[in-house]
Amino acid sequence: MTKSRRFKIEDILLIAGMILPIVTGIVIKVLFTPQSEDSISITGALIFFEIPLSKLGLKWDLPITEAQVNSWLVIISIFFLCLFMTHGLNEKTPLKRQHLAEWIIEKVDKLVQDNMGNHFMGYAPFIIAMMALSAFSSLMTLFGLFPPTSDLNVIAGWAILVFILITYYKLKCGFLNYLKGFTQPIPVFTPFNILGEFSTPLSMTFRHYGNIVSGTVISALLAAALKILSNAVFGWLPGKLGEFPFFRIGLPAVFSIYFDVFSGCIQAFIFAMLTMLNVSSAFDYEDYQKRQAKRLAKLARRQSQNS
Amino acid sequence: MQNLEIISVNIWQIVISLANLLILFLIIRKFLYKPVKKLLKNRQDAVEKQYEDATNAQKNADENKAIWEEKMSQAETKADLIIKEAADTASTRGDEIVANAKAKASDIIKDAETEAQLERRKAEQDIKDDIIDLSTKLTEKMLSREINAEDHKELIDSFIDNIGDKNE
Repeated sequence: MTKSRRFKIEDILLIAGMILPIVTGIVIKVLFTPQSEDSISITGALIFFEIPLSKLGLKWDLPITEAQVNSWLVIISIFFLCLFMTHGLNEKTPLKRQHLAEWIIEKVDKLVQDNMGNHFMGYAPFIIAMMALSAFSSLMTLFGLFPPTSDLNVIAGWAILVFILITYYKLKCGFLNYLKGFTQPIPVFTPFNILGEFSTPLSMTFRHYGNIVSGTVISALLAAALKILSNAVFGWLPGKLGEFPFFRIGLPAVFSIYFDVFSGCIQAFIFAMLTMLNVSSAFDYEDYQKRQAKRLAKLARRQSQNS
Repeated sequence: MQNLEIISVNIWQIVISLANLLILFLIIRKFLYKPVKKLLKNRQDAVEKQYEDATNAQKNADENKAIWEEKMSQAETKADLIIKEAADTASTRGDEIVANAKAKASDIIKDAETEAQLERRKAEQDIKDDIIDLSTKLTEKMLSREINAEDHKELIDSFIDNIGDKNE
């Protein structure tokens, strides 16, 4: 397939759509970040402004922070990435990006099928969304932006969504059955089971959040340590040269490959994996079918009695 | 401008993040998953259809081949038969022609013989008549006397007959 002029222009617009959010993020960061003192400080996201919901009688204000803005930017970026990958989709002469798109879909489909079973195939796009959002959010650090995944609230939101899904599937097999599930295998276990129920989203949240934040913290500490070391070794050099942190060249990048790239991607994968396992284990499809059949039989009996 | 604490919980932020994930899910399903899935399905269908077509074509070809092979073998026997018939006809016709020719030839020879005999008879007769005439005239002149012509003719005839008989 020879690309027409129109196709190329559309391509350029889509690529611009992918890159512009990141550029915007960098611009916002440059404009709003306060002049940092030289000391290392480990803080959360920068608050741009607060929407005073507390005046409306609600308990919390809504702060619009870097985490929110950056995750929106990531979403916009991914949106354009999707459009780019499906641009010029055809059967006969696939473009390279189409191979990538097909590869992603096939891999995730297979992953979902292996871990969740055929009944949950509708979850494949959800898993893609989760992986993409998590991974790209973590990778924001590569552009020097605040990664939304190192905000506890962001991860908590995802984990709570997973918790809602788990509970929904457990309730699908009947409310009484759900309650009975807490007393398994023996009634003494009830409090632990209830704790366990809430520990799932909690552990998912803190696993992801902790890994990303620890990367940030270690990077910051490393930068500080390297500066001190550099000053100690090269301090005798005259003027500005003595203050320049030579050891910061190169070395933090190596650590960044692990803490930002590897850890970010792995955590995205783990989070998606845990989501799949937890949701699918919350739902026994055969049991559900049995219950449905029983209920239908009951309904039919009642109807025949009425008539 | 200030920062959040490193660990801070805000319910609105949680809700926003939850909504973000849902929105991204919808985006990916609409713009990436469904189009690609549809394409894969179409391709799968096309491939299956092609396989089916190929199998059908193969089957047809096999059937045709069998039919043609049968026809070919039939044709060979037929051709043999035709050639044989033709050869038979040709040989009988040849024989007939030769026989006809022979018969005609013998007829011609016979005719020729008969004609030749007739001619000879005629010639003999002519010669006889000539001799009779000649001898009559000769004797008339030699004797120069009136003889009974009839007696004379009888005499000469018998004479000539003797000659002719001796010649025969």
